[in-house]
Amino acid sequence: MRNKAAILWLLVVLAVGAHQVQFWRSARLDTDVLALLPEDEQAPEVDAATRKLADQAGRELVLLVGAPDWESAQRAADLVTAELSKDASLLKPSALDASSLDAALELYRPYRDRLLTPAQRTWLSRATAEELGGTALMKLYQPAGPRLTDWEADPLGLWPDWWAARASESTARPRDGRLWLSGEGREWVLLAWHSQVSAFALGADGNITTVVDRARAAVTSQVPGGRLVAAGVPLYAEAAASQASDEMSTIGIGSLVAVLLLVWLTFRSVRPIVLVGVSLGIGCAVAMSVTALVFERVHLLTLVFGSSLVGVAEDYGFHYFAARQGKPPSERGPLMRSLLPGMVLALLTSVVAYLALGVAPFPGLRQMALFSATGLVGAFLTVACWFPTLDTGALPETAFARRFATSLSRWPRFASNRAWWGGTAALILFIIGGLWRLQTRDDLRQLQSAPAHLISDQRELGRLLGLPSPAQFFLVGGQDEEQVLAREAALKARLDSLVTDKFLVGYRAVSDWLPSAEQQRADAKLSASAEAQAVAAVAQATGEAPTRARFADDVLTPERLLASPASAAIRQQWLGRLGEKHFSIVMLRGLTDPSMLPRLADTAEGLEGVRWVDKTQEISKLLERYRRLMGGLILLGYVAVLLLLVARFRRQAWRAWLPTVVGTLVTLAVFGWVGEPLQLFSVLGLMLLLGMGVDYGIFMLEHPGEGSAWLAVALAGVSTLLSFGLLGLSATPALRSFGLTMLLGEVTIWLLTPCCRLPPGKDVS
Amino acid sequence: MKRALLLGMLLVGSTASAGDVVKDVRARLADVPLLRGDFEQKKTVSGFKKPLVSRGAFLLSREQGVLWDTREPFASTLTLTRKSLSAEQGTGAAAYHLDASKEPGLAAVNEVMFALLSGDVAALSKRFRVEGELVGTAGWKLTLTPTDAGLARVFKSIHLEGDTYVRQVKLDEARGDTSVIQFDKLSQTPPPSDAEARRLAK
Repeated sequence: MRNKAAILWLLVVLAVGAHQVQFWRSARLDTDVLALLPEDEQAPEVDAATRKLADQAGRELVLLVGAPDWESAQRAADLVTAELSKDASLLKPSALDASSLDAALELYRPYRDRLLTPAQRTWLSRATAEELGGTALMKLYQPAGPRLTDWEADPLGLWPDWWAARASESTARPRDGRLWLSGEGREWVLLAWHSQVSAFALGADGNITTVVDRARAAVTSQVPGGRLVAAGVPLYAEAAASQASDEMSTIGIGSLVAVLLLVWLTFRSVRPIVLVGVSLGIGCAVAMSVTALVFERVHLLTLVFGSSLVGVAEDYGFHYFAARQGKPPSERGPLMRSLLPGMVLALLTSVVAYLALGVAPFPGLRQMALFSATGLVGAFLTVACWFPTLDTGALPETAFARRFATSLSRWPRFASNRAWWGGTAALILFIIGGLWRLQTRDDLRQLQSAPAHLISDQRELGRLLGLPSPAQFFLVGGQDEEQVLAREAALKARLDSLVTDKFLVGYRAVSDWLPSAEQQRADAKLSASAEAQAVAAVAQATGEAPTRARFADDVLTPERLLASPASAAIRQQWLGRLGEKHFSIVMLRGLTDPSMLPRLADTAEGLEGVRWVDKTQEISKLLERYRRLMGGLILLGYVAVLLLLVARFRRQAWRAWLPTVVGTLVTLAVFGWVGEPLQLFSVLGLMLLLGMGVDYGIFMLEHPGEGSAWLAVALAGVSTLLSFGLLGLSATPALRSFGLTMLLGEVTIWLLTPCCRLPPGKDVS
Repeated sequence: MKRALLLGMLLVGSTASAGDVVKDVRARLADVPLLRGDFEQKKTVSGFKKPLVSRGAFLLSREQGVLWDTREPFASTLTLTRKSLSAEQGTGAAAYHLDASKEPGLAAVNEVMFALLSGDVAALSKRFRVEGELVGTAGWKLTLTPTDAGLARVFKSIHLEGDTYVRQVKLDEARGDTSVIQFDKLSQTPPPSDAEARRLAK
């Protein structure tokens, strides 16, 4: 029977091993913070909008190369281009050049008569025939104005203005075959490259970052006053990957070394080290394989969090060896059977606690939950199926283990005397005071840990280029494309007055490049009548018979525009059809201060189909909603665990339950006293604490008075503490607060559980 | 290898001679802070059978800008400074104004206009490939081909002729129109009148 299970588990392990080899060869890891967040079921179009904006930027690398004068800026740009083009398999230049503008000119040319700026619309509708004629004549005789068409196709010279308005969406201008801008005391060349690497594997040591750093060094050393500002998702992703790699080795290897050292100290034998190591290895491999099979891409933070599994999954091996020590090898079968009920119960509470993390529909949390739960099951099954078969030799009790086991009797035990009640009262005061001061914070930034220099470069670039904000925008919806464009126009009318007030720098809307069909028809009519008057006046003045050119019969449609490479500028803002409706995004430039947001939110007020989206705020609200939900679930969890414990331990159940409750309260109180705010991830830590904290009580109640159970609890506690303590060092605030929660809670539970043990000589029954 | 070397020498040789012509032309041109005179412009525009001829007077101030005042066939004034372009019909019926800060292309057009009228070869060679020859003892001709994609969208090529001053400018526009501008009665005096100074200060 036992051998059958062992063989069956061996087959599973072999399959996992095969999958692991394949997985690591082609690991696709996610580094995007948004991938951790749940889809907002109430507003799928908002998610679609955010994801589209993020996807578009996914591989782009934007660089500004600056120097005090234009000549040296160009020289610096050549240095950067030379560095970046060294490895063509890594980076490729993006087309920001003249060819895309030529394509756009040709696309729009037949529709020139229906593309007017608001100012032109006003002027054309009120100008007299004399004024129109005079203007046309002056422009005709003017020495070489910048014209983009034949005279007949644009007798009033309106088109260059329209293009100038489009160009004002960015501060960069063509100059000497480059894109130039001037600002903050320097002349800059704008360069855009895109990454040729699609996903980020662990261990890839920041290739793009290295190249950019080399380029920066070249600029600063060879061009006086030279400066390179770089931003882009690839840089963030590489920083995240290298940081995750570092943290995984710190947490994973740190806990592994600690666990194995503890095993060596306690058992002084190679066999337990090898077997515990094997159970941990298999646990992690199973976790990784199942997660990779269930989720398409594994997120980096899952792996970082998963590294803390090492310090939790070792429990079962410790328990087995602690009980097995000093007993003859022939007893190991019955011994395992006697340990199983406690182990299964402990496994169950831990797995339930981990899975409860997955109640929140955060894809990232679900990955972490699944990873940890399956890892525990894998480690447990290895212990249960293999240890009795493989652990054949003798395992004498060591002096260290004996000394430690007997220390339990000297550990203080709760008694009804003045000292204990006094201590309890002090603890209650401490807890109440801390809870009173406890604050909460729900902020997207807890998930991010980008290096400061990347963030400051990003800000500088956004400021110089006048880039629109990707996190705050208007979402415009309508029954069809035409309605979306018309509603954009209504919104733009309000935004224009904010621009005139210098409240906003500007905006970027699809309808600037593609006016609604109705607007196009009206503008075509307006320009036709004005230009007819102008042409007639010119004919009269010159004595010739010039004619006005013919334009396209139909309007410019979204299909035509989107099919052309000229639509690159607006493609990311055109969401198209989502469900029943069509959507587009209107982006804002010059959003520098959060205090501007309420006024912008008001701007959408009363406009049908227009919705103000503040993604940062929505995510904060979402985090808050789940913090409350999970907080409620924890309360339920405590009740459920208590019922489970009562079912097995009857009136003694409180001895396993109370230390965890106190541990949770003490953790919250400490957070309150030191001013660490409570957030979703610390609440999730409390959830896990509940699942693992009661384990110690369970083992102590299952095996009362046995030094070996105490030894196992102590060892397990120390290694768990270490794993989560190391997680507390993570640069990702969410993981750090998770680790801190676990660390504080575990220490308290670990200290309190033996105080609540049964009196000597008594057992549960 | 030999051929490569020969080719290399040829290249070096040709650039050196182009550079020499530019240097020679610059030596023949007077360096003028202020220039005024009359112009006659013949513009061939598609859609018009006959060339459009206009005549008038101009004033070029290297520091401030260009005044281009047409007298025939109708009166109008054009003021081009580093900051703006404004035009007004003599009758006052029509006027337009462009701001260089809002019309980024305008700055480049202004720079080219200044350089063309004053024969600033150094400035022109930043945006054009300059080829040329010397004519007689005092004259010269230059052909300019845009190297800048933005300018290439407007001009195919520009031909300049002159001696101490630029005497003729011929503009071949990218879309087929051409303009020939002849200058006459060129002089470096008198300085701008009050009215002219006011316009240039705009």
